[in-house]
Amino acid sequence: MKHYDVVCPFCGCLCDDLEITVENNRIIGVDNGCTLGNAKFMGKERLSSPIRRNGDGWETISYEEAVGYTVDMLLEADRPLLYGWSGTHGEAQCTGVHMCELVGGIIDSTTSVCHGPSILAIQEVGHPGCTLGRVKNRADVVIYWGCNPLEAHPRHMSRYTTYADGYFLDNAFRERKVIVVDVRKTETARVADEFVRIKPGGDYAVLSALRAIVRGKGDMVPASVAGVSRSQLERMVAMCKDAKFGAVFFGLGLTMTKGKYKNIRNAIELVDELSRHTKFTITPMRGHWNVYGSNEVFTWMTGYPYAIDFCRGIAFYNPGETSAIDILARKECDACLIVGSDPGAHFPRGCAEHLADIPVVVIDPVPTMTTAFANVQIPVAVSGIDAEGTAYRMDGVPIRVKKVIEPTLPSDSEVLGDIFARMKEATGYD
Amino acid sequence: MFILNTGRTITQGRHVEHKFHQGYAEVASTCFIHPFDLMDLDMEEGEHVEVASAWGSVVLKTESCEDLPRGTIFVPLGPFANHIIPPRTHSTGMPDFKNIPVELTFTERERPTQWDLMEQLGGKRYETL
Amino acid sequence: MTELLIRNACVIDPINDICGEIMDIAVRDGKIVESVGSGAEVIDANGNLTMPGGVESHTHICGTKVNFGRYMSPEDMRAGRTARRGHMHATSGYSVPTTYGTSYRYSAMGYTTALEGAMAPLEARHTHEEFAYTPLQDMMANTLFDGNWPVMQAIHEGDHKRVAAIVGWTLAAVKGFAIKLTNPGGTEAWGWGKDVSSIRDPVPHFEVTPAEIISAMIEANEMLNLPHSVHLHCNCLGKPGNYETTLETFDLVPNAHDKRQSLYATHVQFHAYGGSSWRDICSRSEEICRSINSKPQIVMDMGQVMFGKTTTMTADGPMEFNLYRLYHNKWSNHDVELETGSGIIPVHYSRKNLVNSIMWAIGLELALLTDNPWQCILATDNPNGAPFVKYPEIIALLMSKRYRNEVFATVHPGTEHNVPLAALDRELTWNDIAIMTRAAPAKALGLVDVGKGHLGEGADADIAIYPIDITTTDPANAPQDVIRAFAQTDYTIKRGRVVCCRGTCTVDGENTTIWVKPQISENHSMEDDPEFNLNFDRYYTVRKRNYPVQEEYLHRNLCIETEAKL
Repeated sequence: MKHYDVVCPFCGCLCDDLEITVENNRIIGVDNGCTLGNAKFMGKERLSSPIRRNGDGWETISYEEAVGYTVDMLLEADRPLLYGWSGTHGEAQCTGVHMCELVGGIIDSTTSVCHGPSILAIQEVGHPGCTLGRVKNRADVVIYWGCNPLEAHPRHMSRYTTYADGYFLDNAFRERKVIVVDVRKTETARVADEFVRIKPGGDYAVLSALRAIVRGKGDMVPASVAGVSRSQLERMVAMCKDAKFGAVFFGLGLTMTKGKYKNIRNAIELVDELSRHTKFTITPMRGHWNVYGSNEVFTWMTGYPYAIDFCRGIAFYNPGETSAIDILARKECDACLIVGSDPGAHFPRGCAEHLADIPVVVIDPVPTMTTAFANVQIPVAVSGIDAEGTAYRMDGVPIRVKKVIEPTLPSDSEVLGDIFARMKEATGYD
Repeated sequence: MFILNTGRTITQGRHVEHKFHQGYAEVASTCFIHPFDLMDLDMEEGEHVEVASAWGSVVLKTESCEDLPRGTIFVPLGPFANHIIPPRTHSTGMPDFKNIPVELTFTERERPTQWDLMEQLGGKRYETL
Repeated sequence: MTELLIRNACVIDPINDICGEIMDIAVRDGKIVESVGSGAEVIDANGNLTMPGGVESHTHICGTKVNFGRYMSPEDMRAGRTARRGHMHATSGYSVPTTYGTSYRYSAMGYTTALEGAMAPLEARHTHEEFAYTPLQDMMANTLFDGNWPVMQAIHEGDHKRVAAIVGWTLAAVKGFAIKLTNPGGTEAWGWGKDVSSIRDPVPHFEVTPAEIISAMIEANEMLNLPHSVHLHCNCLGKPGNYETTLETFDLVPNAHDKRQSLYATHVQFHAYGGSSWRDICSRSEEICRSINSKPQIVMDMGQVMFGKTTTMTADGPMEFNLYRLYHNKWSNHDVELETGSGIIPVHYSRKNLVNSIMWAIGLELALLTDNPWQCILATDNPNGAPFVKYPEIIALLMSKRYRNEVFATVHPGTEHNVPLAALDRELTWNDIAIMTRAAPAKALGLVDVGKGHLGEGADADIAIYPIDITTTDPANAPQDVIRAFAQTDYTIKRGRVVCCRGTCTVDGENTTIWVKPQISENHSMEDDPEFNLNFDRYYTVRKRNYPVQEEYLHRNLCIETEAKL
């Protein structure tokens, strides 16, 4: 049986045109997907029942026991951290917020280690953006800055920019100019019309130089800025000003390097500056398929996109203090629930270390590096494969991920709903 | 001194849902380096190198890559890179995953596995399925 | 079966011509009934003012741009926060509260139904998700069509039946309620960083004018037999001299419906400016109201501005950019492919600022100069003119000349030379206020027949009891009592049960989403229209199959099915 227009739950592109062939409730073929999405759809090695760490080994336990362990862990904790959330659907994220509110814990998503700095910048200066179709149909200049879509978002260029049909472009591929700014010559840089190679840590200076040139103050700019010649910067500005519609996409190359959110602020202010000459927009390349959904859900429910601390009853937000990395590095939390993410692999060692010292429950379909720190892991159906729910694309467009096979395990929202119901019961909250 | 840069690669991404496999460890423990820098270190591609930051060190396998500027190395994001990344965020919530000063020295030691690293931190490997 | 009896209520129910009568109200299973048994729960209203639950006909509280207003404004979130307590979740935010915050605060003010003012169809799912977390108001969504490509193409081809068919398909697909036009044509021009400057200015590439879009959509609206009329945010919002565009627009409107208006003009205060620049801006409320008074086919809402901090947010992307260039604060913009735009900036309306003072005066003038209160609804375009929590102060300003004078004395001294407000002596009555806050919005939205905005038998038992005795209170001389009373009900009753008592919400709540599904004959259906489908999958970045909002997002809902004339 073939399912058409299936949504891919891998990256923030949320491609929704996949064709999945299913036989006997197993996926046997994926069409239209990229190599990353295909690997996820074809993945077979899931846990089949909850496991518990038992002295020097692991034992299989029932869902009942696993849920009970989680309820007790969260209710007994003084300062629980509820982390992850980017790998699950919105309905489960909503339950997570309610759970966190009930126990006065901290809830954070993988945002704090991807585009958290972008959000800090947006909170300073705003965000002139648009949906991806606006870019696809109009953009004649596309800038990829500190991101490598061909490897991290493999279909971004074919669906939304360079290789996509555009209503206002006769021959989109020829008419669109692509500028890539990076410290290394990535796969994406190879297909660029203009590759701008920056010395590591030089982004802020280059953005400032570009803003000066856009403002007509190019004579202030030195002959070379962070390894980029002034003439190349001037050429880049000319391309931008001549554009009818320019679109900037940026990635972790800006958020993770020296300057962090100040880099993003400068990039947004460049777009602001260019908006006085022509149409320009900017969009963060969100990584996880539903990391943006975690920001949306947390925001309408608590007022803040990530790193929310309920310990005083009210929602309190102060990234750098209430973000997962800092909470773990300070060894502040005394229990951790991890849903749909892998801090064992993706957090600095000094954070993962603390997970070994506290009770940890992991809700994830597959064994991950974080499994090593789990007291209990509860496997669930995979959202977008055997569970349904809402996801938000990198540009904020909400899409419902579907299920193509019948689940043999409960979904994230079912497991979390069960945990939350028992927490409410135990605390007399109705 | 070198500058360490970490990030996504397509092979890392393909294995990201299967981190307990040897394939993931292979990918995540690769240190991409410019061939001239390898020559300066008097090393051959494929030899192991100990990469040390102020925060710690880890053994990785070198792979030559001309796309990198000299003086920089690239390691796909994951537990190997994170073994030497400081957990400091300068009050932003975001650690320095890029642009970290490191020293490189040739070593004959084997690379750890991803589970070895987790166990060093107090975790417990999970290998049976 | 659950029964409730409200005793000793001083009822104002304009739709049923009840004005200040002391009576009992009987409720069974969520509806108003003739009488209930002796076992009914009893609430004693103590002779206090009792009205149908408030109906908000234009507010921005759920969806993509509202949430972006929260997301980009931690400073606003910090400005209003409460901890979890009983049935109430933690809340954050002042001008853009979290969904729970919005719901609780509206409920405390006696509001039980609200229309989200602007939903981009592509992002409708988001609006519906937030509706589910706005538990104490029944919700519906204006659906944006101001820059809709297939619609503009059909208008250009002169095929108005096709316009109606596209609109009908889209409304049903995204579970929308009504047609919203925000700066029609302007949001498409903004895709190139441009705008339209009048209703005769063609939209780049599509070669249709705003006037053509407005007229065709009014026609389509009536072909589809929709409960509400076209809901229009006129072109040229916020520009000095824009009243001419507004008057020209009003002149386009036919009298096409016998039970309600043919055009709902929203936040008209922002569209009633004379002058040619910020230096000589002045009020043109008199000309606007003269037009409204002669055109029963138009209903407007005030778009009142109140002094203080707030956040502006609208689908009118170019307007927000212009505003940003005045304020230099922070600016977000979010264009939506093939459909519309949007922008957000925080603002501070200062009484020391002449332009802001003139804006404040114009909103009040519109309400005072409109002869028939059914044609001017009380609203702030929340949060654009002011957060909705300012409504009690607006009510007091409208009911008391003395209070108006007191505030007028504090605004920019140049204001009086530019506005007629000081010369207006009218003081609105309790009945006028009841019309402007529940009866008229319910009628304008076409919701009277489904039981909103009145307390007749069979109506929804959505009731607000305000702690004020109108037989002994002279609103003209006791504005602070009026403000206190409208700020917090003694009881807000929704679907027959108390949901909020003196500011404390007493249930988790579960609202109803009201949406429309026009029945369109097969030969006009967009389900299998080859051209529509081809262009859809070619130019949208979401497949047509994945575009409709699934049933899962509706929860409790009321679908109004209409017979389309095509």
